[in-house]
Amino acid sequence: MHKITKIATYGIIIFVILSFNFFLPRIMPGDPFAFLTGDPSTDMPVVLDAGIKAKLLSYYGLDKPLSMQYYDYIANILHGDLGWSIYYNAPVWDVLRGSLKWTLLLVGTSTVIYMASGIMLGAVSAWKKGKRVDAGLLTFILSLSSFPSFFLGLLFIILFGVDLGLFPISGARTPFMDYSTSFEEIIDILHHLLLPAATLVIAHIGGIYLLTRNSMLNVLGEDYILTARAKGLREGYIMRRHALKNALLPISTMIALIAGFMITGTILVETVFAYPGVGRLLYEAVLVRDYPLLQGAFMIITLLIIAANLAADMIYVYLDPRVKHK
Amino acid sequence: MSLLTITHLKVHFPTQDGMVKAIDTIDLEIANSERLGLIGETGCGKTVLGMSIIRLLQPSTKIEGEIWYKGKDLLKLSEGEMRKIRGKEIAMILQNPTTSLNPVLKVGDQIAEAIQLHQGLDKRAAREKAVEMLESVKIPSPDKRANEYPHEFSGGMKERAMIAMGLACNPSLIIADEPTKGLDVTIKMQIVKLLKEVSRRKSMLFITHDLGVATQICDNIAVMYAGELVEYAKTEDVFKNPLHPYTQGFLNSLPNMGLKPIRGMSPSLIDLPSGCRFHPRCDHASAKCTIEHPPMVEIEKGHSVRCFLYT
Amino acid sequence: MIEDTIAFLKGYKNSVIGLVGLGILIFFVVVAIFAPYIAPYDPHEMYKPVRHPNSDHLLGTNHIGQDILSELIYGTRVSLFIAFISSIIASYIGTSLGLIAGYFEKFGFFFMRIVDGFLAIPRLPLIIVIAAFMRPSIWNLIFIFVFFGWPFTARIIRSEVLSLRNRPYVDAVRMLGAGNFYILCRHILPNVIPLVVVQLIMEASHVVLAEASLSFLGLGDPTTKSWGMILHYAFEYPTIFISDLWKWWMLPAGLCITFTILSLTFIGYALEDLVNPRLRREIL
Ligand SMILES: Nc1ncnc2c1ncn2[C@@H]1O[C@H](COP(=O)(O)OP(=O)(O)O)[C@@H](O)[C@H]1O
Ligand SMILES: [Mg+2]
Repeated sequence: MHKITKIATYGIIIFVILSFNFFLPRIMPGDPFAFLTGDPSTDMPVVLDAGIKAKLLSYYGLDKPLSMQYYDYIANILHGDLGWSIYYNAPVWDVLRGSLKWTLLLVGTSTVIYMASGIMLGAVSAWKKGKRVDAGLLTFILSLSSFPSFFLGLLFIILFGVDLGLFPISGARTPFMDYSTSFEEIIDILHHLLLPAATLVIAHIGGIYLLTRNSMLNVLGEDYILTARAKGLREGYIMRRHALKNALLPISTMIALIAGFMITGTILVETVFAYPGVGRLLYEAVLVRDYPLLQGAFMIITLLIIAANLAADMIYVYLDPRVKHK
Repeated sequence: MSLLTITHLKVHFPTQDGMVKAIDTIDLEIANSERLGLIGETGCGKTVLGMSIIRLLQPSTKIEGEIWYKGKDLLKLSEGEMRKIRGKEIAMILQNPTTSLNPVLKVGDQIAEAIQLHQGLDKRAAREKAVEMLESVKIPSPDKRANEYPHEFSGGMKERAMIAMGLACNPSLIIADEPTKGLDVTIKMQIVKLLKEVSRRKSMLFITHDLGVATQICDNIAVMYAGELVEYAKTEDVFKNPLHPYTQGFLNSLPNMGLKPIRGMSPSLIDLPSGCRFHPRCDHASAKCTIEHPPMVEIEKGHSVRCFLYT
Repeated sequence: MIEDTIAFLKGYKNSVIGLVGLGILIFFVVVAIFAPYIAPYDPHEMYKPVRHPNSDHLLGTNHIGQDILSELIYGTRVSLFIAFISSIIASYIGTSLGLIAGYFEKFGFFFMRIVDGFLAIPRLPLIIVIAAFMRPSIWNLIFIFVFFGWPFTARIIRSEVLSLRNRPYVDAVRMLGAGNFYILCRHILPNVIPLVVVQLIMEASHVVLAEASLSFLGLGDPTTKSWGMILHYAFEYPTIFISDLWKWWMLPAGLCITFTILSLTFIGYALEDLVNPRLRREIL
């Protein structure tokens, strides 16, 4: 039953997102397709050459009835056809594919560091609740995570990139570089990755930290923790073995939100660091009003988040024996 | 010879509404191989007494008095020294097995970890010992059960697992907190039988609000009311010759004695009644009872009571 | 009720974090209210562009010559206005729906599937897409923030109502013949108010961040001054990183956003600490 509801929920979400993507440009006031029909009153200064225009017109099929348009739209997506990017003059999927790997690298690295450090700090804080360590960590982390990611990124660029010259301030690798070994290439990529990843982690760490801390505090009040203490076990051991696993249960159900934060953060951080990922593409698409690309990037981002949700469900089953046996 | 001697114990919890005087004041002895029953209504401080012996109360708790165990005052031990006593010397079987077992760890592992810690066995040996323990509390196919999680156990089975966990390191004193609560009659009797068996040649503090169960296991019974003891006697004397009006009322409220509840409610532990704490509910209360706090007096050998009716 | 409020204020007074947060927020609110009296210039007025700080322009001027300090002061208005209007409306809608969904079980179940769907969709990317299609204006932004803000409140309120609904005293009132609406308003609503306040504060800080992010991406209302917008133009300026310009063009605006979020976070945390007794419970 639980599983069916879950699958249904995902199905509904995907359906809603796709429909949303379909209807949004069609119901917006001010006709976003004005650029296609060459309406001069539009404030969107997109000049199209005839070839692209023909491609777009056939993709959107605006002359057909709405139900046909919708059917074509879904069919196209199932064939991996996300439309034609105006700005890049290439299929949207081809444009996105190149940047997807960078986003995955950035989000993946940051998420691992973020989860590990946030959970550890939250657990320590809960364990030392009411003591100096807790108060200090709490104030420090709440303050730190009040920095918007884009502002933090800008500060990092100025401080570590420009003033100290320690890190490159844009891109995912040094342009026109000939790497003599693949090791050198990896180092270069990591060098570019570090600042954006650090920005993402630091700007968002407050969420997981507070979540772990609260969850841990609840768990530490449970009877089985008393049982563990009554056995004479050490505090550190009780924290690790008895408390943490239980505390992670509610956290794993929040992974959807966490993934949402991280991926949202990616849009801003990639923009600030000119990191060539999907988020940066989304921003570019906004700037040049490349609607097909914008919608494609949005869809990929949403699918990433849904994938994160699925992963969270699987982690939950792994953590909680009570679910496994049902 | 006494194994545990509690003198002038007070346990107070500072709270926003005021000081909760959960224990005020208790003197109590448990002899070697004695099984002492501690009975009283819910909320009178039984669990708090057990917890203060193994010192599992939160740090803000105000504790006064002495708790002597094998020549040491437990209240003066460091946290590290106390850890060596918990589970190994004194085991507490906590109330409510459903919430007291960790839901995400296998039952066998939860038993084995204490064995590994206190007896210095390696993981495999501890695990084997855990299976033995499950067998000794009469859990069928203990091998298989050790690999299961608490939610796969029935209520009675969980209680058995808790008992196995408590006994795992062969402690000298067992504190069993309401181990029969919430079980149906047949299971309850099985658990009673088991506890009687496993506590042979050990000391046990048996906490319950079920006098019937206490009489089957215990040598002596201490009756607790609002944070203090009001009567202490051999088990049979409590039944044949209950002295304190509270004990008498308690007996009358038992199902086979007429089910007559004591009138009124147990008092708030923040504002205790003046004089005798039981006087607002007592049919024999005199003016003196409302003013003066009666002392605990030994009426005959091994039978003490806290009531002006006998002095 | 009055006693509760007093006890609550007493508790709040002990929270250092809460007081610091409140202090900062009050500062910004005062600046927002008296912006026209505090600001030295009209923020839309143009002087010589890209001036360094001097006695006329304490924080210099931007790329088209507007006084940055005045922009900052007026920006306070926009940020706080959008944040509070959106979060108040979102809380109102979310609370009403949460109450109903918690009280009427059948409706609640289907309703929560919708809310779950809403919550699974990432807010900011969606808002970016919508804002890119809509002509950005303050009211459009507020509409978007409300539209995506209410499900959080609805969800939290619903789960609280679920636990309140089965309390013995609610049953007792029902036995006495009280109607559903009466029970909801008289006996359940007062109990969820503290949670609503916490949620409102949290929501406000989300909106400040979201509005700043949108403006930074160039999707804010171009006719009003907001902190995110200042950062947007600064970031687009070619020599921003290699000169000292960032020190007065970027840093103050960024710090204003940061401190506003900080104050709301601190207040929210202090309130939650008071409201949620499970977190307060002392632990060994
Ligand atoms: N940590 C605590 N803080 C405040 N009061 C407590 C605490 N623990 C127990 N109490 C109070 O002490 C009294 C005795 O509790 P307890 O020993 O659990 O009763 P019981 O006899 O049912 O085991 C109760 O009134 C309870 O509310
Ligand atoms: Mg108890």
